[in-house]
Amino acid sequence: MTTIESNIIFDIKDLNLYYGDKIALKQINLAIHEKEVTALIGPSGCGKSTFLRTLNRMNDLIPSCKIDGDVHYSDENIYRNGMDIIGLRKRVGMVFQKPNPFPMSIYDNITYGPKCQGIKDKKELKEIVESSLKQAALWDEVKDRLKESALSLSGGQQQRLCIARTIAMKPEVILMDEPTSALDPVATAKIEDLVIELKKQYTIIIVTHNMQQAARISDKTAFFLLGEIIEYGDTSHIFSTPDHKKTEEYITGRFG
Amino acid sequence: MSNKRKWKDGFLQGITYLASFFSIAALLMIIGFVFLNGFKLLNWDLITHNYVAVSHIADLKDGAEVGVYEATKTLGDDVYYSSKWGLGLRDDINIQGKTVVVVDYVHPDSPFVMLNDKGVGEADLSLSIDYEIIRIAFENTSSALSVYGSEAMIDILDSQDTFRELEYATTGGGIRGSIITTLYLIALTLVMALPIGIGSAIYLNEYAPNNRLTRLIRSLIETLTGIPSIIYGLMGLAVFVPLTIRLTDATGGNIISGAMTLSVILLPIVIRTTEESLKVVPDDYRYASLALGASKTQTTFKVILPNAFSGILTATILAIGRIIGESAALVFAIGTAIKDEVSLTDKSTSLAVHIWAMMTDEPANIELSTTIAIIILMIVLILNISVKFLSRKMTKRFGAHA
Repeated sequence: MTTIESNIIFDIKDLNLYYGDKIALKQINLAIHEKEVTALIGPSGCGKSTFLRTLNRMNDLIPSCKIDGDVHYSDENIYRNGMDIIGLRKRVGMVFQKPNPFPMSIYDNITYGPKCQGIKDKKELKEIVESSLKQAALWDEVKDRLKESALSLSGGQQQRLCIARTIAMKPEVILMDEPTSALDPVATAKIEDLVIELKKQYTIIIVTHNMQQAARISDKTAFFLLGEIIEYGDTSHIFSTPDHKKTEEYITGRFG
Repeated sequence: MSNKRKWKDGFLQGITYLASFFSIAALLMIIGFVFLNGFKLLNWDLITHNYVAVSHIADLKDGAEVGVYEATKTLGDDVYYSSKWGLGLRDDINIQGKTVVVVDYVHPDSPFVMLNDKGVGEADLSLSIDYEIIRIAFENTSSALSVYGSEAMIDILDSQDTFRELEYATTGGGIRGSIITTLYLIALTLVMALPIGIGSAIYLNEYAPNNRLTRLIRSLIETLTGIPSIIYGLMGLAVFVPLTIRLTDATGGNIISGAMTLSVILLPIVIRTTEESLKVVPDDYRYASLALGASKTQTTFKVILPNAFSGILTATILAIGRIIGESAALVFAIGTAIKDEVSLTDKSTSLAVHIWAMMTDEPANIELSTTIAIIILMIVLILNISVKFLSRKMTKRFGAHA
C-alpha cells in the first residue's frame, strides 16, 4: 500500500459541537489532505453532515449550534473571531443533497456567485460560465440553451449545474453532502466520474450513504458513529481490513 | 352502522353544497343588482365628463356670420337642424328627470364653435355635443326658451341672422374627477406602502432575531388589520392632514393626506402577505446562495425577493382593491367634495366616496351609484387579470417556484 504524501488542508483538533444541550460531535480529530477525495460514511444521524457543515461554517445558520475546538484551514483557525466567513465559503464550496439550482437561467445560475463577488465584465463572466460547465461535464448538453431556466434540466444535470456553480467560484475545496442520493444510477455514475476528474484540481470531501460509492471514488474514508470518528484511514485499508469491529459491521451491512 | 355513516356523510356533504350555493348566490345577487340598476347610465360620457355643470352666457364673436352649413353626418330623426347656423338640437331628459334641449350636432364651421363669453369678457367659449341650451335671446324677437322644445327653438333661430345672448350649461354628473383622484390615490399609496411594507416584511422574516420583541411586533401588526378604517381616518385627520398643510399649500384634507392614511391601512396587509411569500421560498435557495459566498443581503435581495415576487404581486392586488374600496377613512382624510379639477393638495373624492356622496344626496341617486359600482368592479377585474397574466409570465420564465 502506497500513500502519496500530500499537504494537509484541513486540520481539525478536539472539535465538539452541540445543538443546544445535546452533543452532536465528540472530540473529532481529523487531518484532511489536499487534492484527495475524503469520504465520510456512517449511519443516519451520526454527525457526518454536521461535520461537513462545520468546514464552511454553514452551521452558523442554526441558532442553537455551539462549537468548541479548532478547525484549521490552510493554517487559519476558521472559528476565530473576525474570520471572513464569506471569503471562507468562497474558497470552500458546497454541493447539497438535493439539486438546488436557483430558479433562474442556466447562465445566471453560474454567474450568480461571481457577480456577488463584484465581477461585472460580460466577457469574463462568459468565460467563467464556459469553463465551469466544461469542468462539470455539462457544457455539451446545455451550451445551446444557456438562457433557459435551470429547472428545465433533469435532476442529474441540475446537480452537475450545482457543481459547476460551485466551481465558478474557483474554490480550493468542494464539500459534497450526499450529492447523488436524489439521483438515478446513470446520473450517479456521471457525478462519480466527475468527482474523480475534479480531484486533480480540488480537494473534495463527500458525505455518502453508499458504501460502494465511497469505495469507488475516495482516497480516504472516515467512519462516523454517534458523533465520533471510529476509524479514519486509506479507503483501501478501511474497506479491506478495518481495524475496528464496528467499522467492519457497518461496511458489511450488519447495521446502519 | 354503515347506514348511519352514509347519513352522516350525506349530511356533511350537503352542508358544504349549501354553503357554496349561498356564497355563489350572494355574489350573483350583488353583480345582478349592480348591473341591472347601473347599466342604463353606463356610457363613455359619464366617465369623461365633469361632475359640476357650469352655466355660461355667451354672444356671437365680431364678424361671425350665418351661412349654409350642410351636416357632415346623418342626424337622428328626433334632431332638428338649422343649416343656416350649423346647429342640431333635440329634446332629452336629464339625470334629474327634467325635459331639456340638448346640442346633438355642431357643424365644425358653425358660428357656435367660436363664441364670446359675456360674463368674463374676452374668454372664448364653444358649444359641444350634449350641452344643455337654456335660452337664446334676440334683438328683434322674443327669446327662445328651452320649455318650447327644440323644434320651436330651431324655427326661431332660422328666422334670425343674429342673436343677443345664449345661455347654456355644460354637461354635468360625470365622474372624471373621481376616477383621476382614485388613480392618484392608487399610485401614491402604492409608492408609499409597498416599499415600507416589503421592507418591514424582509426585516421581520430575514433579519429580526426570533425573540419576544419580534413576536410582539408581529402580533401588533396582526392587530392593526382588525381596526375599523374610520379610526385610521381619524388618525389621518389628526396627523396627516395637519402635516400636509404644514408641508404643502394644502388648506384642508387632500389627496396626499388621504394616500398617507391609506398607506397606514395597507401596511399590515402588505407586510403579512409579503412575509408569507418570503416564508415559502425554500431554504435550499438560502443555503445555496450563502454557500456560494454571497452575503446575507445579497441572498435576500437577489434570490429570496425575486422568488417571492408572485406573493408580493398578490399583496399589491389586495392593496389596490383596498384603496379602491376604502371610503370611511377617506371621508375624513380627503373630504367629500366632488371635484373636476383634481389637485394633489386639494379636497376631492375617490369613486367609493363618490358613491357615498351620491347616496347621501336628497333624493339618493341609486342609478348613478350603481353605475360607479360597475366601473369599480371593472377596474378591479382588469387589475386582477393583468396581475394573473404577469404572474404567469414570470412563472414561465423562472420555472415552478416563481
